[in-house]
Formats: sequence, C-alpha cells, structure tokens
Amino acid sequence: MKIRIYLLLITFFFFSCTKDKKKTDSAPDKYLSIHIQPIFGNSNFYLDSIYETQEGYKVKFLDIKFYLSAIRNGNDTLAKAALFDFRSTGNFLLKQVADASKFSSIQGNIGVIQSLNHQDPSAFPNDSPLNISNAGAMHWSWNTGYIFVVIEGKADTIPDGTTNPNHNFSFHVGSDSYLQSLNFSNVSWQSISETEKRLSLNLDVLSFLQNPGQEIDLKKEFLTHSGAGSEVLTLKVAENFKQALKIQ
Amino acid sequence: MKKEIVFLMILFFLSSCRKDKVGFKATPYSLEIPSHFPEMVIPSDNPMTTEGVELGRYLFYEKQLSGDNSIRCASCHLPQHSFSDPNQFSKGISGISGTRQSMALINLGWESFFFWDGRKSSLEQQILEPVPNPIEMHQSWKDATAKLNADLSYRNRFFRAFNEEGIDSIKVAKALAQFIRTMISSESKFDVMYKFENKIPLTNTEKTILLAVDNEEWAGYDLFKSLNGADCFHCHNGPLMRVKKFSNNGLDETFSDIGRGGITGNQNDQGKFKVPTLRNIALTAPYMHDGRFSSLDEVIEHYSSGIKHSTTIDPLIEFASQGGVQLDSQEKFLLKKFLLTLTDYNFINNPKFKDPN
Repeated sequence: MKIRIYLLLITFFFFSCTKDKKKTDSAPDKYLSIHIQPIFGNSNFYLDSIYETQEGYKVKFLDIKFYLSAIRNGNDTLAKAALFDFRSTGNFLLKQVADASKFSSIQGNIGVIQSLNHQDPSAFPNDSPLNISNAGAMHWSWNTGYIFVVIEGKADTIPDGTTNPNHNFSFHVGSDSYLQSLNFSNVSWQSISETEKRLSLNLDVLSFLQNPGQEIDLKKEFLTHSGAGSEVLTLKVAENFKQALKIQ
Repeated sequence: MKKEIVFLMILFFLSSCRKDKVGFKATPYSLEIPSHFPEMVIPSDNPMTTEGVELGRYLFYEKQLSGDNSIRCASCHLPQHSFSDPNQFSKGISGISGTRQSMALINLGWESFFFWDGRKSSLEQQILEPVPNPIEMHQSWKDATAKLNADLSYRNRFFRAFNEEGIDSIKVAKALAQFIRTMISSESKFDVMYKFENKIPLTNTEKTILLAVDNEEWAGYDLFKSLNGADCFHCHNGPLMRVKKFSNNGLDETFSDIGRGGITGNQNDQGKFKVPTLRNIALTAPYMHDGRFSSLDEVIEHYSSGIKHSTTIDPLIEFASQGGVQLDSQEKFLLKKFLLTLTDYNFINNPKFKDPN
C-alpha cells in the first residue's frame, strides 16, 4: 500500500512541474509582399531631387502616397487595403501570409472601395492602413472618405536657365467616382527568401506627367482636391497614375 | 503514518513550483477611449496601472524634480491653459528662457513624435529631457531620484506601481507617461459635430449639445474645411485635429530656428515644425513654435494675409503666392467661432488631472 502511495505521489510530483511543451514545429508562414519602385523615365527616382520634364520644367516631388484596396485574385483576397507612403515607408506596400499559387493574377483598386471608404476611420484595427492613426492626412474627416492618391511637389516652370522650384503643385484624388481598377495578369512572384516571395512594381512618375494625349502641364494644372470645378484634372491625374503603375 | 503525511506535505509544497515573489500587484488601468478615437497603442514595457497613473500625477506636480525645488511639470503646462504655458517662452529655475513655446499636453497617447522638432519618438523618452535640461528644471536625474528616494511616501508609491524597490529616471518617466496618456480630451462641441457628420452614434447629452451648435459655428466649420475658404483641414484633420507631419506654414522667409531640419540634417526640412493639435486652441495662446502670435485673431490673419514664401513652404499652403487665403472680416469671425468649439472644459476641469496635494 505504502509503495503505491509513494509511487502515486512521485508521479504527481513529476507531472505537476511540467511546463507547457512547445508546440510541435510547423512549417513557417509563407509571405507575399509587394514593393513599388518609383522611377522617372529611365532614371532612378528620389523625393526632393530635381528632375526635368519634356517641357523643360524643373520639378521636385515632396510626397507620393496612395491606397490600393480589395487586392485579390477572384475570390482570394490578398489584402483589404494597403497604403504606399514613399517618404515614410519607402518602397514597401504590403506583406501578407498567402500562397503565391493563388495569385497568378491580381486585381485591385487605386483608392479605397466604397464599402470601406465611408466607415468610421477610428474603428479599423490598429494595424489597418485605414485606421485614422495610420491614414493621417490621407483621410478627409467630413466623410468624403480617404484620399486615394497624393502627389505633391514644387516646379520651376520658367525657362530662364536657373533652377528655382517655387511653384507648388498638389494633386489629391478622392471620392468614389475616381476609384480606378487595376488588373495585373501573369504575375511572377520572385523568391527573396525561403519564406517570402515578392512582386515588384514600377511607378513611372515621368509617365504620370506625360501620358500621351493626357499630359499634365504643371504650369497650368497644378491643383486638384477632387472638388467641383476640377473634375477634368482629377480624372486625368487618376488615369495617368493608373497607367504609370506597371509590373517591373 | 506521520512520516507519510509529512512527506506528502513536502511533496505538495515542492510540486506547487511557485516562483512568483510575494509582493504588491499593481491594478491594471483601463483607459476609456472615446468612441470616435482610434485605439491608443500602449508600450508593452509600460502597461497602464492605477498605481502608475496616480504616481505619475503626483510627479507631474512635484517640485523636487527641479534643482531648487521651485518648479514642476505643471509650472510650464498649466491645467487652465490646457496644460500649456501662457508665456511666450517658459523660464527654467535659473530664469533662463527657452526659444520655443511649451506645447499643450493633449491626447499625447496618440502621438509618435514629440517636441516641436520631433526629436523624441516616445512619451517616455520625451519626459527624460526637462529634468536635466539646464534651462528647465536643471537637475541631474541622480539628484532628482535621490530626493524622491528620501521620501517614504514616494518609495511606497514606486513600489506599488512597479512591484520592486528603487526609484530611477526610467520609472519616473514611465509613471509620468502613464498619467499623461490618461489626459484625453474628447468632449468639446467640435467632438459632437465630428461624430454627427461621421454618423457615429451620439449619446443623449451629445444630442443636446448638437442642438446648441449654432449656424455661425457650422459655417465656420465649413470654412475650416473649404479649399477656397480657410483651407485648414489639410493639417488639422480627424478627431485628433492634426495630421502627423512636420510643416513649414509660411512664418518666415529665412529661418532663425530651422526646426525639424536641425534633427534630420536635411535642407528640405528646414523651417518645418510639428503640426500641433487645434484642440483647446482658445486656451493655448500664444501660438506657433515661438509663440509669436498672442491671439487667435493674429493666427487667422497670418493664414489670411501674412504667409511668407520660402524654399520649404508646405505645398498645401495653396494661396501662398498671394500671401494667404484672403478671408474677409465675416469669414474671420466665423472661423474663430468654429475654433472656439474646440474647447473642452471637461478636460481642463477634470479632477483626475489636478494637483493631488
């Protein structure tokens, strides 16, 4: 009897101190990421640097930001929304756990789809790019929703041989009617590590300004907030931006 | 049989495997986040506790943090001025003034950079600066914490807040940060207007407040948001009434204080300063990083006709080329009416933020 009791107690003693075992190792998550490289024609692109347009304008860009939303392939969603902010986060657009085989094509929208665009911006999770803390100036608080695309800078449009970019330009595209759809087929995800595959896009800023037949003349077309009276320029900005975004 | 019982008890004692120290466990503090605000991100190494918040409140009003025991945080962040300083420049214990205006302490739990030039990226880091600063409290942290250590009530408060003995600068900063994170302002007339237009449910009290918003205040709000009106919203937006950025808002053609540029070394940042919240703006005069404007009227006049052009001026100051947005006297009146709706009297009168002594 005694021996039984001792055995029981010893068994109890050993088991009582057992720490939680580590979970069985599982395969690491596989990530898909999208990065975007702004370029200026055939040149590298940097904010605050001076570039020359075909009209001979000297131009420097101060900010390039935009939202993509409903990023998916058919019924498979890659991300509800992603915010590109070149000054703050560089080339990064998004990184998600996902299977590359499901995303051989990608559809999405430049801007925020209507079903998300008018929700309370404080109610999105903290890690959502749509949360007001992350959106910041990319949200217009009187409920027109998010700014889809922001391009801001300064230009020198006077060809006097000097470089004095003091002419501000500011393109803010927003409101549901300016949402632009995207469709990339034959997407090739490049492995950059054992756990991450990446899609790299280019954003050609020169092409944005000089889309054939839809050129933006910064001397005369330098301001839109998507309000009444600036519909033509807003649409031009939205469409030019769309065609400037391409797979590398 | 006795031996067996003793053996059993020893085994039971050992098997319990308790490693926890016997000590005081601080009470988790639950912040009440307003329904129209985003969640506040609390640093994982400084969780909010009731004891930590209360300690921070004592420290906020504690003169022993200054070299000659003459000033405290609240000396330059006065509650009735929405925790800012009505003086253009605050004076430290040596009578030396700084060169920048004390910033109001409102909703800092949502900020991610601090000071006018954004040189600190957390509240805890920011708090570490004023005590040793020779033109502010001018006391080494070693001396400051020695004074606190000599005070039994503080030793007890620190123990209860951090569950260990000892007082150091990090704990002081953490406790103060906890207290400051509780300083949430969300009960102004503007908040009700914001919630109404964003279709966020209103309480019965808020519905009553909404009815009290007059036409001039709504018209002022429209002007505030209008691109062809006052055009303020680009930098003062959302429930926090600011955007996270540094901006050159056209104060000078050349800069005696280069602001953010002094931190980044980037010429493109020269003359840029943190965009402050407009909450309680009627209480936080004087205005701008150098307190150059003593009244809201002067501020409005600046944006209306006083904009000066410079290389780094914010491109969102869209009417810079004509000196500003050119408001007429009626528009200035309406804009000011709206700015006054941003005053939150419940915030400045909140007994939880007052001197505990």
